[in-house]
Amino acid sequence: MMEVRVYSAEELQRVGIENEADVITRPVISYWKGAILRFKKNHIAMFAFGLFVLFLFFTLFGPALSGENYTEIDAANRNIGPNGSFWFGTDQLGRDLFSRIWIGARLSVIVALVCSGIQIVFGSIYGGIMAYFGGKVDAVMMRIIEVVNSFPSLLVTLLIMMVVGKNVIGLLIAMSITSWVGTARIVRGQIMLLRESEYVKASQLLGGGAARIIKKHLLPNTISLLILDLCSSIPDYIFTEASLSFLGMGLGGDIISLGVLISDGKTKMQFYPWQMIFPAVVLVVAVLAFNLIGDGLRDALDPKTVN
Amino acid sequence: MNLLKYILKKIAIALATLFVIASATFFLLALTPGDALSARVEKLPDEVTQRLYAKYGLDRPVMERYFITMKGILHGDFGESIIYEGETVQQIISEKGPVSARLGIQQMLLGVTLGILLGILAAVKKGSFWDFLVIFFSVLLISVPTLIFALMLQAVFAGKLGWFPVIGWPSKGDWLGGFKYTVLPTLAGCFGYIASYARLLKVSMLDVMNQDYILTAESKGLSRREVIVHHVLRNSFIPIITRLPMSVAMCITGSFFIESVFSIPGLGLYYVNAVAAQDVTIVMGETVILSAIYIFVIFITDILYTVVDPRIRISGGNA
Repeated sequence: MMEVRVYSAEELQRVGIENEADVITRPVISYWKGAILRFKKNHIAMFAFGLFVLFLFFTLFGPALSGENYTEIDAANRNIGPNGSFWFGTDQLGRDLFSRIWIGARLSVIVALVCSGIQIVFGSIYGGIMAYFGGKVDAVMMRIIEVVNSFPSLLVTLLIMMVVGKNVIGLLIAMSITSWVGTARIVRGQIMLLRESEYVKASQLLGGGAARIIKKHLLPNTISLLILDLCSSIPDYIFTEASLSFLGMGLGGDIISLGVLISDGKTKMQFYPWQMIFPAVVLVVAVLAFNLIGDGLRDALDPKTVN
Repeated sequence: MNLLKYILKKIAIALATLFVIASATFFLLALTPGDALSARVEKLPDEVTQRLYAKYGLDRPVMERYFITMKGILHGDFGESIIYEGETVQQIISEKGPVSARLGIQQMLLGVTLGILLGILAAVKKGSFWDFLVIFFSVLLISVPTLIFALMLQAVFAGKLGWFPVIGWPSKGDWLGGFKYTVLPTLAGCFGYIASYARLLKVSMLDVMNQDYILTAESKGLSRREVIVHHVLRNSFIPIITRLPMSVAMCITGSFFIESVFSIPGLGLYYVNAVAAQDVTIVMGETVILSAIYIFVIFITDILYTVVDPRIRISGGNA
């Protein structure tokens, strides 16, 4: 019979590293540190990040910076072109467009963020439940996803806006009611894929507990996908809000958003083009920044691009 | 599992979805405060009001109306518009449908063709200035919403330069004479396709170029041109083909904004107006028909995935 003997740590000796070339010289960095390093090296992404910071700065402090009136009707200053005091000109009621644009951008971004938040949280929970339970539960929940996925989302959004009325809460409900489906699919697919993947099995064999597997494998791999999902959905929501408001089906009345401003500006396009061009440009720059940051993150978060 | 069973299952899901959409639309409309007639009957005597409501069945309880409506839809009868007297949903679809279809077809033909050409250029000249240019412009184009494109094109080429009409659409059957009306709406809608197809094809081609069979083809001594035309292109079209039906669906949505900017008398503009006016029968009918097109398109996409790429195995609908 073979004798089984347990060696103590002192008796064991590491072999195989005889020459310098085999020594691991690259510093071991965590996944997230590596991702940040890769992102910082990407000039286009950093430029977009700069744009984003600038955009954020103006949405927060823009109205205060200009210091001009943007709420009261001012008959003396109607439809003024861009000048020293009104940087983006004024609208048909004499209100400072610069301030109005940043107030509007504030709302557009908040709406996009809240909708994306709802989408990510609900989608993750739904997808997580599907992956966790599997079997019948998964099958039924998948059918629901297929049904919701076949809804033409714009039609649904229009109908819901009609029922709940043209207010911010209604818009949030209408825009996020069908959008969680994609996130749920991503989360479910990723968790199922990871559970079956060889490195998770290897980790289990090596004695890694559930906590370690979730922390080291499930979370980083799923969170990176969710971040990318977030980056692509924010511009979508900004678009949708603007488009709905343009059709007269989104926000309106006293509420200002980029969509409302573009819609207002359109009516004056022939005579005072800046009233539409400025909000449109701000919207495009914001969306461009989000898209470029998303592209940069996609490269940075992919561990296969290590070099 | 065989293909037939898979298709039957998909059809069942599609029908169930359509039923859910029709029901949801009906109850959403029923929940909406006010109705299409309230503005019209304000100054009318009570008796006339009652008769009007009775004419459109709006005086009956919600559930009864629901069954009447669903029965009508099953028989292909969507009812008569409340706002435009005498017009039925079928008439409106047959009148407005071709307008939207022409716009969509022109957009897709131009957009997809240009997108494919640019995608090939970017992939073949990878890392070059052209590659950078294509990718840069596709990111830029993706970041500009269709709505903004439409407004800008209208402002510059119709408003400032006056090269094209600001709004309008050629009358029925006028294919060549009214072409100038279609130029700007077509351009506004095609940029999205150019950007997405260029990116899609580039990624797909680079992926195929890394495959072993391309190495084999190159080592047989084929020229680069032959490798690209015969081996790379053929295999990288799978994502393009499976994407096409979804683009048709996107076209339906995109048409809402473009039709509204250029006042094109198509289904999108009509739908938006019907929703605003609470024209229940029209909204119901158009929702069901547009949804049916949309669901059909998704169905085709699913089938295409399994037919085009034999590597995709049909497994109990798990995706």
